[in-house]
Amino acid sequence: MSQARLGDAAAFRVVDQLVGKEPWEVFGERIRRYEIHLSGGKVEMTRGPIALEGYDIRVFRPNDHGTGVGSYASTDFSPEGVTSTVEVAERSAKYATFPSPRVDLPSGRGATGGIVEVLDRGLWEYPMDSLDVYVASLVQAFEGRKEFALSFGSVRATLVETSICNSAGLRTGYGHTTVDLEVGVKAFGGPEGPAPGEYWVNESDRRLRPAELGIRVPEWCRYAEDVRRGRPPPTGEMPVVLPAPVLAGILPAVFGGKFTGPARIRGMAPRPGATLASELITVLDDGRVPWAPMSSPVDDEGIPQRRRTLLEHGVVSELLYDLLHAGAYDTKPTGNAFRGSASGFRSWYRFLFPPTALPSTLSVASGQGGTDTEIIEAAREGVLIQEIGWASPDPLTGAFGGEIRLGYRIRNGELAEPIRGGTVGGVALAPEGSPSLMTQLVAVGSRVGFSEPVSSPPLLVKSLPVGGEL
Amino acid sequence: MGELSDAEGNLYHTVARLGQHSPFVEVLGEAVTGLSIHTNGRTSTFQTPPHVRGAVFRAWTGTGWTEVCISGLDTPSLRYAEGALERVLAHRPPRQPPPGAPSTARIEKSTPTPRPITDMGEEEMLRLAQDAFSWTAGVPDIHETEVQIGWRLDERLYLNSAGARCLQSICRVRAQVAAIAQENGRVSSDRVVHGGVGGRELLNGVTPDKVRKAAETARALLRAKAPPSGRLNVLLSPSMTGYFAHESFGHGAEADQFVRNRSYLQPLLGKLVGPEILTIVDNGSYTGAWSEIYADDEGHPAQRTVLVDRGRFVGALHDRDTAAALGAEPTGNTRRSDVFSRAYVRMTNTYVEPGTSTYDELVKEAGNGVLLESGTGGIEDPQGGQIQIKARMGHLIENGRVTDLVSSMALSGRVLEFLSSIRGVSRKEDFVLDSGSCGKGRTDLLPNSAGGPYLLASAVVGQA
Repeated sequence: MSQARLGDAAAFRVVDQLVGKEPWEVFGERIRRYEIHLSGGKVEMTRGPIALEGYDIRVFRPNDHGTGVGSYASTDFSPEGVTSTVEVAERSAKYATFPSPRVDLPSGRGATGGIVEVLDRGLWEYPMDSLDVYVASLVQAFEGRKEFALSFGSVRATLVETSICNSAGLRTGYGHTTVDLEVGVKAFGGPEGPAPGEYWVNESDRRLRPAELGIRVPEWCRYAEDVRRGRPPPTGEMPVVLPAPVLAGILPAVFGGKFTGPARIRGMAPRPGATLASELITVLDDGRVPWAPMSSPVDDEGIPQRRRTLLEHGVVSELLYDLLHAGAYDTKPTGNAFRGSASGFRSWYRFLFPPTALPSTLSVASGQGGTDTEIIEAAREGVLIQEIGWASPDPLTGAFGGEIRLGYRIRNGELAEPIRGGTVGGVALAPEGSPSLMTQLVAVGSRVGFSEPVSSPPLLVKSLPVGGEL
Repeated sequence: MGELSDAEGNLYHTVARLGQHSPFVEVLGEAVTGLSIHTNGRTSTFQTPPHVRGAVFRAWTGTGWTEVCISGLDTPSLRYAEGALERVLAHRPPRQPPPGAPSTARIEKSTPTPRPITDMGEEEMLRLAQDAFSWTAGVPDIHETEVQIGWRLDERLYLNSAGARCLQSICRVRAQVAAIAQENGRVSSDRVVHGGVGGRELLNGVTPDKVRKAAETARALLRAKAPPSGRLNVLLSPSMTGYFAHESFGHGAEADQFVRNRSYLQPLLGKLVGPEILTIVDNGSYTGAWSEIYADDEGHPAQRTVLVDRGRFVGALHDRDTAAALGAEPTGNTRRSDVFSRAYVRMTNTYVEPGTSTYDELVKEAGNGVLLESGTGGIEDPQGGQIQIKARMGHLIENGRVTDLVSSMALSGRVLEFLSSIRGVSRKEDFVLDSGSCGKGRTDLLPNSAGGPYLLASAVVGQA
């Protein structure tokens, strides 16, 4: 968003009318959203513009317990609306408590720490036309594939001008785009039986990339066919290979539940220096990965996003903080305050949710385990999990587990027949001295894959319980 | 329903003007208020549902539906929506009429609340939360107690160019107390949750005794055994039975999946799929249930729809489009998360009807297996006919007796195989409806309820 455009950004318009005690913060969004929904390869519905403009006002008031934080969100930009929003926020602050003696709001204009690529300019300028082109490419990619079909799908593009102001003088903002793609790919027939198999694609990106469909669609079709052919795995403890798409459903919730200020204040965060994982693994939090949906120049409190080391060779390095939790521990916020995110899901409108400290993009550093083929060779006899229905990670206990939507047996160090059904689970991250997925790593691959919001090479776990047929 | 009533004239006239460009136009306006608290002893935070007012307009283009959404119900916002929709419709002269018949219902209803909660402010809510917080005191190893109490008043006004008008105001109240135990870094938890449509009386569903029992269970879970893995006899608690109903014949019977030819259940309509003891219902008109509605977001009255009648798959959930495509009637199941989200065929309150067995009879019948308790989530595969549901904990069943506590588990398998393995359903005194939420895909969460009594079957279970 240009500086000229910033002038009428949502937060700036509110600040012009704001009369109230300091300190305060205003988070604003002007959103346009466009959607195309498909049914069986045909357009079922177009939506847009979905025009939503709103703001959230937070106030911070000292009290006997530290700070009372009150917030209220609104879409009413009239002077009366802003006054009423402040009143509700003040009322909440009066009875709320947070054990932080002070809140040090960031100051300055556009303290962004540099450019982060988060805006697809073509999509920004021509949203509906861009979606039309993408959907036409998607449908076309299935033409001539008689054994495969799109069963449903949606492409949703969100164009947002985010603006943040506070009473310390911060005035910043940026534009960003997000594309959410959901597609069901169906594979028919075959000698294994008539039931079609379906592979679900759920992806978020900052860009529309129709040219990539030529590579992606054949891959999705192969997965759909393997879902159709797959049978439940055997029951037992066995070596398991977990690639980035599976880790994306596990790690954000577990690290968010342990490596953040909110976890520390609940007495559930690990102490720096504790050994929680194999020395093979290093995990970073990186809010500046180009085009990653969690990347942005600043977090939702206006602090520049950075690269942080959470686990270094298995040892706890640092935790992630928003303003409030940083204030409680007399430390600096890390640029990890996010609104509307939980357990790997992120709302397309964020001003309705209060911020809390969460990971951005979790990046597992590449290891010495070699290529994907070498990781599979190292497993010898086990399974590779390609997709879990829902890993349902528990941020408190670190437990995860779910149905195997697609995986492969590993026999004699090679990928063998597809598996489908049954369960895989365990504890992703446990207290020091307790076994977990992270302590049982025997190899970390060398090739990093990205599956929002995680970038990671495949991990080979020595043993996880798999529930299938006897 | 002041704000929506104030805007009704403008909404009506906008629909009327747009009706000149399309054979059918509808609008849904929404206004939400409420208050909730979250406290854990260290922090207390209030959340007031945002002051968001908005509307979604839907029109038939001649070949499909198109929608425009706006935040704000003021005249400039409505003019913006009208202009945007006119531009879309101008390029698409109507060629075919819209599918099915529109609603012409006229409904106006608010949640009857003998003990209203909408006057509860921050101070009183904080006092209630502090009371509930104290109920775990004295239970060893309880590291944290989390209390959440809240109410939310959701007002929706539906109008269409066929003359329907549905104005509803629904008050949802929910309380939850979670006890979190910790020992040597190991963490476990259990919780008490109660919610529904009504007023202050719903807060009575969370009692000191129930909270204390949850705290003791959380503590016991610290030392619980890992669950067994593999195909086992499984006795589902009422909440787990609810997840089974929701994930199997709830999502599987949403008729948009039929139209897309992606439901394994479609060819089974009218056929026996389970034992005679099994009846599954979706009921949006269930008084006081968490997902009670008076009309859906296409203006159709909420209703009770039998999905499985004594083992026979007899019904599906329909919106206007699917009913037209499949020769059925709309069932009052068209729902939007909010006015910015699209409408889908969605469940309301979905449950297994009580059977005739006692809990003790089912345990004895199980012989050896596992009791799965405290459902925490589930997911379905309408195409492949698989489900996954997860339990926070359970107990072993050994020689017809409930024995050791075990930690969290996931159950997975093919629905049709699971149905054929059902051997018993317990009586109405065990029946419970929960208060949760459900998404369609990865988004579009809305209030949803599921439940039932105990149910005995067999399935693949594993640690989770």
